[in-house]
Amino acid sequence: MTTPDSSTGASRLRTASKSRRAEMRFAYLFLLPALLLVVVFRIFPLLWGFAISFTDATGVAPSHFIGIANYVQAVSDPNFRDSIVNTLFLLATLPIWVALPMVLAILIDQGVPGGKLFRAVYFFPAVLSSVIIGSIFNVVLRYDGSFNAFLGAIGIDAVDWLGSSTTALLSLLAVQFWSTFGMGVLIFLAGLSTVPKDMVEAARLDGAKMWQIWLHVIIPSLRPIIEFSAVVTTIGVLTSMFGLIYVLTAGGPGTSTTLPEFLIWLEQGKLNQPAYAAAISMMLFVIMAGLAWLQIRIMSRNTNL
Amino acid sequence: MPGAGKRQKRALWIASIPMAVLALSCVYPVFFAINNALKSNKAYILDRLSLAYEPTLANFVQAWTRSHLNEYFINSVVVTVGAVLLLLFVSSISGFALACLRFPYRRLLFAIILASLMIPIQVVLVPFYRTVIALDLVNTRIGLIISYTAFFLPFSVYMMTAFYSGLPRELIEAARIDGARFSQVWWHVMLPLGRPALITLGILNTLYCWNDVLISLLVLQDQRTLMVGIAALRGEYTTNVPLLSAGLVLAAAPIVILYVFFQRQIVSGIAVGAVKG
Repeated sequence: MTTPDSSTGASRLRTASKSRRAEMRFAYLFLLPALLLVVVFRIFPLLWGFAISFTDATGVAPSHFIGIANYVQAVSDPNFRDSIVNTLFLLATLPIWVALPMVLAILIDQGVPGGKLFRAVYFFPAVLSSVIIGSIFNVVLRYDGSFNAFLGAIGIDAVDWLGSSTTALLSLLAVQFWSTFGMGVLIFLAGLSTVPKDMVEAARLDGAKMWQIWLHVIIPSLRPIIEFSAVVTTIGVLTSMFGLIYVLTAGGPGTSTTLPEFLIWLEQGKLNQPAYAAAISMMLFVIMAGLAWLQIRIMSRNTNL
Repeated sequence: MPGAGKRQKRALWIASIPMAVLALSCVYPVFFAINNALKSNKAYILDRLSLAYEPTLANFVQAWTRSHLNEYFINSVVVTVGAVLLLLFVSSISGFALACLRFPYRRLLFAIILASLMIPIQVVLVPFYRTVIALDLVNTRIGLIISYTAFFLPFSVYMMTAFYSGLPRELIEAARIDGARFSQVWWHVMLPLGRPALITLGILNTLYCWNDVLISLLVLQDQRTLMVGIAALRGEYTTNVPLLSAGLVLAAAPIVILYVFFQRQIVSGIAVGAVKG
């Protein structure tokens, strides 16, 4: 306190409460920009979008309240249905998204030759923009692209990877997986550093084989990381594939690589159905909120994360 | 058991072979882009797999000037630098307030900022776009700077709050001593102390802003950032792969350089980001 020693208790108290008020004022002043940005560009738009989703707004004509018609439309809209089916197809491969990075991380943790280098290189595609990765693979996977040229050189017939619905979705899946698995490796490596080394050593001294140690010691102790990685991957599939879809396949052929986030963008822009897009957004939000809740539960259960 | 150890070593050596192949695939795009950028279009069409025998820089020149990548590059630099500086400023003052000062509703306000993580751009695409238009920020670089800050902010605030909370109590008590000097405490004490966290956040946010395409497509429609320009180049020159490759090399170069120099910060920061963000 700057109050001189000779001051009375009352004036000290006054100064203290004055400085507490100043502290409060400053705290709110310092928080104002962050709160303003978050409220104006995210929280308020969320409420506004909720309102828009019950109208027939197009951006030109005045809009009317139409109840849940946009949500009803979604149920019968084949494009929306396809986007959900595509998402479920991608999510069906979730075990691979989790397991492969885990295996790679355990191998690196056990001292595979070149492990340090692998860790850095595996992560490299994750720092490149999805636009750059998408452009490269769009060229590589074309019918006259270098992947088919390579297959031709070893005697395999060319496939129109991005031109037919099944292979286009598989290509999207593969490229997204390839560009993000390094992140999973990093998450598992962070988790592995908490696995008790003496337990692994004790099992080894008891004569356990390597696969037994993996199965009974290492992998069970990684359970929180496995759960966490599954949730993060799901969030990624739902909200971080726009750039890749945009340049790799543009959602096609047809709707075979359209995911909800890409459909939202199409409906609001090209198809000029912003109210319908807002309704799809709201459904996506409900899923995101559920996943966030799951993520918080996993994280609060495991304080070491 | 030396026998078991030897067997394990052999198993690890065998595992390292497919792992090395996977690692090669991760650097393949760099090779692909650089190699094709150095070819003439004719050379590419004749042999898509070969090395560039007669390297030429013509594609770079054309991509940079005639395809307007120079303009897009400047847009991206201005927007990224602006957004990163704004992000660092806002997250550092918020983190200081949330971690070091006492005031009512502190936890609630922190929760509001973090809760917005549940609202990615896709969830508010339509109303966000209308908000940007209503505020007259559409097609302005400042509009994109503010938008990036709004969307990448919560994680940065979280990081700064966590970092400042980890500082010794005496420093925080010292910050509370005289109410009138909070701004000086922030400037002279908190900002220099926060350097490690600010550097990590600066690098991560540079990656996010430079690589973004969706927010940029909405906000900056006329001027184009580099990634939007690359996506357009991909669409316009479907047959001129060497030209596109040159554009890709130019667009990725800053990020590759950043990764080579700051690999440690990026790797540790993104792991934390994935866990918390």
